Amino acid sequence: MAEHMPRILAIDAGGTMTDTFVVDEAGMFTIGKAQTTPNRESDGLLRSFDDALHYWDMERGTVTQHLMATVYSGTSMLNRLLERRGDGPIGVLVTAGMEDYFRMERAAQTYAGYPFSDRLHVVTHVHNEPLVPRKYIKGIRERISFFGEEVVPLYQEEVRDAVKALGRQGVKALCVSFLYSYRDPRHELAALEIAQQVLAEEGIDIPVYLSSRSNPVRGDLARLNTLVVEVYAARPSRLQLFDIRDRLRAEGSSAPVRVLASYGGTVSPDVEWLVTTLISGPIGGILGARRLSEVYHFENVVCTDVGGTSFDVGLITERELLTRTEPTVARFLLTLPTLAMDSIGAGTGTLVRIDPAVRRVTLGPDSAGYRLGVCNADSGITVPSITDCDLALGYINPEYFLGGEVKVDRERALAAIEEQIAQPLSSDPFSAAEGVVRLLETQMRDHLYGMVLGLGYAPENYRLFGYGGGGPLHVAGYTEGLAFQDILVPTWAAAFSAFGGACADYAYRYDRSIDLLITPETSAREMVAQSLNQAWEDIRNRIGQEFQRDGLNPAEMSFVPSVRMQYLGMLDDIEVRAKWPIDAKDGLTSLIDRFDELFAKIFARSARSPEAGYFVTKAIGVGILPTEKPVLPKFPLQGATPSINAHKGTRKLFWRGEWHTAQLWEMDRLHSGNEILGPSVIEAPATTFLVPPGRKAVLDAYRVFHLNNG
Amino acid sequence: MRNIGELCFAFYTPEGDSVAVSTGIITHVHTMSEAIKFMIRQGYEDDPGISEGDIFCNNDPDLGNVHTTDVHTMIPIFWEGQMLGWAGGVAHQVDIGASTPGHDPVATANRFEDGFYVTAEKIGEHHEVRKDFKIRAQRSVRTPLYWDLDEKCRIAGIYMVRDAVYRIIREEGLEYFQTFMREAVEEGRQIFMARIRERLVPGIYRTASFMDAPYKGKAWHPEQNHDFMMHAPMTITIGPDGSFALDMDGASGPGPFPFNASEGSMQGALWVQITQTLIYDGKVNDGSYLAAQHHFPQGSWCNPGNSLLAYGTPWAYLIPAFTGMFRLLSRGYFSRGYREEIVSGYGFTGDPTQGGGVLANGTYFPVSNFELCAVGLGARGTMDGLDAAYAMWNPEADMGDAEVWETIESGLLYLSRRFKPDTAGYGRFRGGSGWESLRLVHGVQELQLYSWREGRVFHGGAGLFGGYPGATGYRLFVKDTKFYDMVADRLPYPLGDRNPAQRELDNGLGGTMHLSRDGLILPQPFQNGDVWLSLFSGGPGYGDPLERPIDEVARDVEGDIYLPETAKSVFGVIIDEEPDGVKADPVRTEQYRAALIADRRARSVSYQEFWQEERTKVSQGNLAEPVRRMYRESMQLSPAWSAEFCRFWNLPVDFQFQP
Repeated sequence: MAEHMPRILAIDAGGTMTDTFVVDEAGMFTIGKAQTTPNRESDGLLRSFDDALHYWDMERGTVTQHLMATVYSGTSMLNRLLERRGDGPIGVLVTAGMEDYFRMERAAQTYAGYPFSDRLHVVTHVHNEPLVPRKYIKGIRERISFFGEEVVPLYQEEVRDAVKALGRQGVKALCVSFLYSYRDPRHELAALEIAQQVLAEEGIDIPVYLSSRSNPVRGDLARLNTLVVEVYAARPSRLQLFDIRDRLRAEGSSAPVRVLASYGGTVSPDVEWLVTTLISGPIGGILGARRLSEVYHFENVVCTDVGGTSFDVGLITERELLTRTEPTVARFLLTLPTLAMDSIGAGTGTLVRIDPAVRRVTLGPDSAGYRLGVCNADSGITVPSITDCDLALGYINPEYFLGGEVKVDRERALAAIEEQIAQPLSSDPFSAAEGVVRLLETQMRDHLYGMVLGLGYAPENYRLFGYGGGGPLHVAGYTEGLAFQDILVPTWAAAFSAFGGACADYAYRYDRSIDLLITPETSAREMVAQSLNQAWEDIRNRIGQEFQRDGLNPAEMSFVPSVRMQYLGMLDDIEVRAKWPIDAKDGLTSLIDRFDELFAKIFARSARSPEAGYFVTKAIGVGILPTEKPVLPKFPLQGATPSINAHKGTRKLFWRGEWHTAQLWEMDRLHSGNEILGPSVIEAPATTFLVPPGRKAVLDAYRVFHLNNG
Repeated sequence: MRNIGELCFAFYTPEGDSVAVSTGIITHVHTMSEAIKFMIRQGYEDDPGISEGDIFCNNDPDLGNVHTTDVHTMIPIFWEGQMLGWAGGVAHQVDIGASTPGHDPVATANRFEDGFYVTAEKIGEHHEVRKDFKIRAQRSVRTPLYWDLDEKCRIAGIYMVRDAVYRIIREEGLEYFQTFMREAVEEGRQIFMARIRERLVPGIYRTASFMDAPYKGKAWHPEQNHDFMMHAPMTITIGPDGSFALDMDGASGPGPFPFNASEGSMQGALWVQITQTLIYDGKVNDGSYLAAQHHFPQGSWCNPGNSLLAYGTPWAYLIPAFTGMFRLLSRGYFSRGYREEIVSGYGFTGDPTQGGGVLANGTYFPVSNFELCAVGLGARGTMDGLDAAYAMWNPEADMGDAEVWETIESGLLYLSRRFKPDTAGYGRFRGGSGWESLRLVHGVQELQLYSWREGRVFHGGAGLFGGYPGATGYRLFVKDTKFYDMVADRLPYPLGDRNPAQRELDNGLGGTMHLSRDGLILPQPFQNGDVWLSLFSGGPGYGDPLERPIDEVARDVEGDIYLPETAKSVFGVIIDEEPDGVKADPVRTEQYRAALIADRRARSVSYQEFWQEERTKVSQGNLAEPVRRMYRESMQLSPAWSAEFCRFWNLPVDFQFQP
């Protein structure tokens, strides 16, 4: 039946499974899953694509040529970094005296990503294994000051000797990062010229990367980290992406392959700095939520993603996504603009133990991940996980896990809970399991509540999206008692990140540190306006070149300029939209007004401090070209009562200390307009939606559930 | 100061016990508690009154604070007219208007040089800080902008705490909240005791730590013109029920220097050590503090009870004193089999380069460097210590970026930041390495700098089970250099003091070198082209260095953690530096190690013989002057300690060291 014409292929290649989300021109979608194949990612991707198409009774060979857009997000680059399987050796030139960057790091990297208890518990702190061993790092005498003054000229002979030595040591690429090169790149540029000359003399053909070119922003360790990660982890991914593009082309696709970047746009695999795509998977979810928010005209949205190992929360406030510029990824401080998202290490795979000394439940920090838990007899896991608890409590159907593909054993889970949790607490296994799940959900709740409050808002101002494999199961629990305006669960929650990737703009972004002080003085303001306009123009030209390389017309691009600024003397800058070109009078004044307003919202009004002036830390530009995005189909509303063939029977479930008889429903067979009263469990192959007693789920015209108080 | 975590917020019961605390410099969770208790004892309810909307400020070390640069802002929280508790915030100031610029002064001798004092003062009403106070405060420090920003930050933070309390009450009810508040503290107490029972063997654990304060010939005040030494005996008694008591009886006296530590600062330090080792996963509140008994003897350096003393830099004494605690707890962990919990101690978070200057364009800039936040942690029971990444007073340490420090300290440029060989304490597991920064004075009209750390004594981070302490510090700077000439000629200017036996700084830089074993240096003027070396400590080691696997020693040499000659003389490892890297020779190493052990045997004496020799020195008073002074103070302050000292050395009961 050729009633679907696939137009968009969105891919989320996780560490274990590759999800594909295929959309037709009417916005109908199908979801595919296949095992990720890290050695050749295109294999797993095509299998996952096939899996999606088989639900539509279609073959890849006949449809690939109709694709208009292909968007990739994935974790392979991040995993390469985490597992230290990157490219090397890499030669690094730094300012003389700073050769120990990767071994000394900054102490913040020795506990990055730890839970609070381990941050305190110093015996657990450890350094990262350096990405570049010390023998490949050479110091060059030179110094540029904070003011851009050349205090020590570049010692050219030292560059020459270092490059020669590194070349002979067999490095595959050279990275150059000098102090304050973001302020004045002349020493890096001179070093590049010398390096190219020496390499040519030596007959060595390797690329040379400059930190002032990749991201000219302040923060010497983070800037160097980012530059090296580009070579170490991103460069190998480029080849995988080219392979994906080649194979889809061979199948007849003329759609460009785009990759989701951490700032929320998509870029070509040819992009100069591919490291911007290091974090993409979880970003997709936020973009998906933003797309839905546009459809529903929502202003403020909390995006919650429950995975196997983590709980990720992002906020959309007044339609704006917050961007952070110095995230810590895989225990490295980086200078990468990244959509703000805060994670805690709590997911459905989180392992549960009792502390023998104080007889308290501890959650994680380790997780069973894709191995699920004790219930999976082949997993080798002996410590119960949250999934084991969910299973014991009757929330999950043991016969229908991943559509029945994975066999899980409820009795095994129960026995482990009884022995390892219930007995030490002198409790029964059901009360114990429920206590554990409530503890997890309370941690999730506190986490997202804290984020909303941290922005000076309350849940009453927000709607909440729950997605990810475990989102629909736990969303009722982790939102309990929080008065969100609405709680929404898309029926495609399990592939929501891939969907979000498909909703992203085709966009390039560049940041540059500029450090400008805005005072009331006219000449200073003129200088600020001039410098900003110049920076934006440079960035715009650079983005134009990127689009040109991608075979697109830069003239069609819309350019969005912004700045990051702060009160003089403060440390936290925030991103403020600007108008370009800006003038020294009204233009700067309205920029300041927007900043004051935003600052009061994000921090506290009482902390505003305009007396000493405003400090513009960065000029930022984003260039956007229109691209094919999924249409959201609208289905006619039917009656509140679901059709009888959606009903799958009943199951006992344990909720708040009591057994209830829950109605079971097949998610795919529910229709828009149907209302499901709790206690109910709505099942789909990739996810389970729990509607607790007293609650009600209503499926709307876009096939999104709204979880209400019944 | 948020960049390096010098900020903390907490919520307290009406009586001033902490219930919950934010991340950051959590030493302070208890210090504010003392200030609140002071206000209650003084009857502030009647005068000046404690009402809704009032704002209080304190930085008086005699009232629980650590030093004047830590400024506390506190508000009472009311609900329907009833007082529920307090919210407090603390931030470390860049400058507090002491007699010299900086945050940890060294030249001061009394309270009147400590800078701006606010003694549990009501500074605002109706949720607004009084204008006259703002004016006074901003005119009392060298960096009024930072004072203003930090005060705003504290106030914004404590109002966020207040709003969170309101929210809980609205959601859960007042009664629930009040019960929770008490139970949270009680649970904290119970968890602490359960943890003690689990991890430590009951008994009495004892150790001692020391620190030098060499003011002779440097002092600005006649009464300060001595070489002082600090004595920190420490006894921890663990009861079978999980009780914990720390006693510093026998501590030496206070003095005319800023290293005096108030009782509150000692309590804070105790607290921060407990949270890093025992109750990291418990309820981080005063529950554990209430469960931990402590005795800091009145009149000693660690509880002088004299508000006229200088308290600007108690860290200088307090940090060494508490290395004993890690050592003692580690012995308990070892006895119980918790090898992975063992930490042999920590490097001294010393050598804070400080001062202030004026740039060529006339702008004042503070020098208040905090990269010392990242020293070496002591060796652990299962692995080496953490290199360059630990601060005893803030487990979330960070050294910050060079590019960020120079935005503030724009006249003091980095010429290097690198590991300093031979600073890591030797051992089977080595201490975390220390490091050095070489700074160039550039683009200034004027600049003064000063600093402190231990120089002539090991600061107390003695090693564990045969491990050695980390290296002591020294002071080195060079004035009137030929730096710019070297640069003009493209000569390789020095990047530090890697190997003092072959000093890079001797190599063409010229000028006048100041080199001293005293870490302490009082403010001095500097000019463009001068270079200043900062030395950050390594941590102590664990176990006999002769048992360190030879490949690890080779790696240490390759990574400049140890010099090759140290690998040989201390670790007994023979190193060959080959073109493709550093190699240890296993055969020659085995022979050399055997020879070292034979030498140790030859040099060893029986305990009785050792005791006799030492007793002779003690009984004749044949000790260095500052050591005699130190013990005299300890004996005068504590008859009990004095009696035990005399008993141990078999001296007459009325024995005294002569001045």
